[in-house]
Amino acid sequence: MSVYDMEGQKFSRRLLLLGGLQGGLFLVLGGRLQFLQVARSDVYETLAEANRVNISQISAIRGRITDRTGKLLADNDRNLQIRMVPERVGNMDVTLRDLARLLKLSPSELHEIRRKIRRGPSFKPVVVLEDLSWDEFARLNLNMPYLSGIEPLVGQKRVYPHAQSVAHLVGFVGTKTREDLQRVEDIVGDYVGRSGVERDFERDLRGTPGVRHVEVNAIGRTVRELQSEAGKKGRDLALSIDLELQNFTTTRIKGQSGSALVMDIHNGELISMVSAPSFDLNKLSRGIDVEEWEQLIDHERKPLVNKAMQGLYAPGSTFKMLVALAALEDKLIDPEEKITCTGVYKFAREEFHCWTADGHGPVNMIDALERSCDTYFYDLALRVGIDRIEAMARRFGFGKVTGIDLDGEKGGTVPGRDWKRANYDTGWRSGETIITAIGQGYLLATPLQLAVMTAALANGGKLVQPRITKSDETTEPAAELGLKPENMAVVQRGMYRSVNRPDGTAYASSLLIDGARMSGKTGTVQVRRISKDERLNGVIPNSKLDWHLRDHSLFVGYVPHNKPRYAVSVVIEHGGGGAQVAAPIARDIMVRLLQKKPIARAPKLASHDRSEAGS
Amino acid sequence: MSYQTRSGRMGQLVSIGTLNMPIITMALVLGLVGVMMLYSVAGGDFSPWAWRHASRLAVGLLLMYAIANLDLRTIFNAAYPIYGVIFLLLAAVAVFGNSGMGAQRWLDLGFVTLQPSEFMRFAVIMALARYYHTLHRDDVSQPFGLIVPIGIIGIPALLIFAQPDLGTAIMLAVSGLGVVFLAGVSMRYFIAGIAVTIAAVPVVWNYLYDYQKERVLVFLDPERDPLGAGYHIIQSKIGIGSGGLFGKGIAQGTQSQLKFLPERHTDFVFAIYAEELGFMGSLLLIFLFAILIFLMFTIAAQMRHRFSQLTIAGFAFALSIYVIVNLAMVMGLAPVVGVPLPFISYGGTSLLTFMAGLGVILALERQPMAELPK
Repeated sequence: MSVYDMEGQKFSRRLLLLGGLQGGLFLVLGGRLQFLQVARSDVYETLAEANRVNISQISAIRGRITDRTGKLLADNDRNLQIRMVPERVGNMDVTLRDLARLLKLSPSELHEIRRKIRRGPSFKPVVVLEDLSWDEFARLNLNMPYLSGIEPLVGQKRVYPHAQSVAHLVGFVGTKTREDLQRVEDIVGDYVGRSGVERDFERDLRGTPGVRHVEVNAIGRTVRELQSEAGKKGRDLALSIDLELQNFTTTRIKGQSGSALVMDIHNGELISMVSAPSFDLNKLSRGIDVEEWEQLIDHERKPLVNKAMQGLYAPGSTFKMLVALAALEDKLIDPEEKITCTGVYKFAREEFHCWTADGHGPVNMIDALERSCDTYFYDLALRVGIDRIEAMARRFGFGKVTGIDLDGEKGGTVPGRDWKRANYDTGWRSGETIITAIGQGYLLATPLQLAVMTAALANGGKLVQPRITKSDETTEPAAELGLKPENMAVVQRGMYRSVNRPDGTAYASSLLIDGARMSGKTGTVQVRRISKDERLNGVIPNSKLDWHLRDHSLFVGYVPHNKPRYAVSVVIEHGGGGAQVAAPIARDIMVRLLQKKPIARAPKLASHDRSEAGS
Repeated sequence: MSYQTRSGRMGQLVSIGTLNMPIITMALVLGLVGVMMLYSVAGGDFSPWAWRHASRLAVGLLLMYAIANLDLRTIFNAAYPIYGVIFLLLAAVAVFGNSGMGAQRWLDLGFVTLQPSEFMRFAVIMALARYYHTLHRDDVSQPFGLIVPIGIIGIPALLIFAQPDLGTAIMLAVSGLGVVFLAGVSMRYFIAGIAVTIAAVPVVWNYLYDYQKERVLVFLDPERDPLGAGYHIIQSKIGIGSGGLFGKGIAQGTQSQLKFLPERHTDFVFAIYAEELGFMGSLLLIFLFAILIFLMFTIAAQMRHRFSQLTIAGFAFALSIYVIVNLAMVMGLAPVVGVPLPFISYGGTSLLTFMAGLGVILALERQPMAELPK
């Protein structure tokens, strides 16, 4: 016998031994199955039928959302419901007929109930009706003895007292679907945030559901409660906005398409953030039909979009401050140096027009900001160059998201040589530098980014991170941009004169309350190309154009001019000139803000802010 | 002996027809049973588990076929390197691993999380088979011939035990010892080993974590804590028992659908199966597993190379103890140790490693005559 065969035999022997052992164990398993499923199956059947311990979950109460003063923006209300366990209903047709008579249900409602019942297994409770009135609920309770398998239940629902004005911020909730059930403790039928703060702060608002162990008899009626673990209520959340100013702003820009926001320039708290048109949170939380939903989605003015942080616009003349700063920081121009504006600027056989055909004459930097002279900035643009402009824009946070604590924010575009190469595969042209300098062309920013820019101009060069919740100890201090104070002063001076001097573009929107004035800058953004013919025959006024061809109207500013505290940013889509539409809106909002003193402060800032607010 | 394979020329993919079809069919059938049960556990829905299980099954079949294409010598030469790499991963888990459910088992590679301990059981079997292939038969039962196998099994088992994952560590050790047994190591050692193990129980007990002790105590007396640790076992037994002879039907099990049973889609999936398909269905499933294991043993017996014999039989043995321990646990015959039911429980690593293991078997079976170095 060869070595191979001997080894082979030993291997086969061992294989047989091991296989026998496994076979034996499989037999044991089979025997155990027989014991459980055949011999004692009746015992276990009863146990399952009346599974002694019934574990049910108690939904946690969702945290409420308030404004900075504690006024409710999202609250919970009682939701009177009827639950049914289909297999415990004696005669379904009779029961449904009784229900329909008691609650005066329409045939279509009845049809919907039947559909709900059919959808799940018959031993699973189904919420067949909700949002009942007390009257209906009482009538039902009175008749409970005749309705088997039916259970009245007091649940929760979400309500929004200011459903329109805070719609984009607070967001709405929806009923959890199977896809939402990620965790064991999740409950079908509970609410989950679907947009805005309701979605982004879901973790805080949700809380922990409680568990109830009850002893039940064979037909599922509770015999006694064994132990109960109360759930933990979700955390209440205070937003940084002031409801009164938010509502005022909402009313003020009603009928327009655009956004307006007010931000604390020191800690980035948004005091108001309004996007128009808006939608009804209560409607969306209760669920709307497909047709209504599609109407909202397809609406020309995009009501579901929070334009303040998701709308992208060319910043127009509001961008001029950064071009001026880029020039000053590198000492490329003396602010007193005058450049003559004739109304047209010629470069490389192209003509670039100032907004006023007659021209501004000789203007220095402050004049140019005051009167929003385009020619001055055309000339300056070529001295500064796109690289410096791009770098300054990026320093002020353009081209990337601000990091606000709401999801879905847009970052915008800062064009430059690399960007042009990557996106158009061609080199940068100097003509493009010229239009970039007046905030047109490829440059795109959100109104929120404009507010952050304005805040940095007002607070001496600190880039704040905007936030919709109140700031606390964990709030990071604003990043210092390291700009020279004397250069900031030039720009601030220009912004002051733009609103407060008769020649300033926004002079009609100046204000004076307790010695406080507003500084700011208008912006008007063309959305169409003006032809040579049109220039010769006179530019068509906005009022004669189709809505979607009219200019965007922008204004950014801050108050008080001498001790800056709040920045404002208004963008009205196709509103017309910045001075005619956006600036008056900003003025009205700021007047309202300055009149209602003291505005509630975040706790941390209370001590040193009081002195400022007291003036 | 001339080198030849059934596939003909080198560099060509082997035709699927030349592979062992019964093995492939059994893997597919068991995997589909898994898809069906996960569909049922989700209340008659392909999300969140069933469709993912199905797609992993498809990936697994491709992986199996790819491995079946490998040259015998490639697999032979890879046995030690694979062991080495997975050993390093295991060590990495000990250092960098993610803690989930209070234990460090996963290694997050960014795109996929791996549980190296699941791969280790196959790596150990192949490394041992490789070792015994070269070891002279006279040295198999010599004390110095035992040192290397004990190291190959013991060191990763200790690492896994320290994660802590007692269940997987024991499964790994038993799988490895199965290969040592098949290699023909003298019975005396095994008898002595069993004696020592029994003697060591009180010592090990002191090193167990509280939850592990609790599981053993609860296994001995489930009523000890009917709402806590004993809950699994009680509810699982109710589920199986109430299934009766023919079961309650797919997605109709009250135990499962009312969520009385935790871990329904992973370790306890058989409880749902038994509840919904009854005694007949359960016997059928056990029978299917038995057929698969029997097929693997038959193939092992026909192999000429020691490496092939031990690898295939070792895989078969590992599969069988997974099935046996899982079923015993679900039926209340063994403590709850966290062992998935191969091919059926939800979990990517488990499914893919078993499919890969079958791929190795297909490759070895295809090349019984290829030459290996001694």
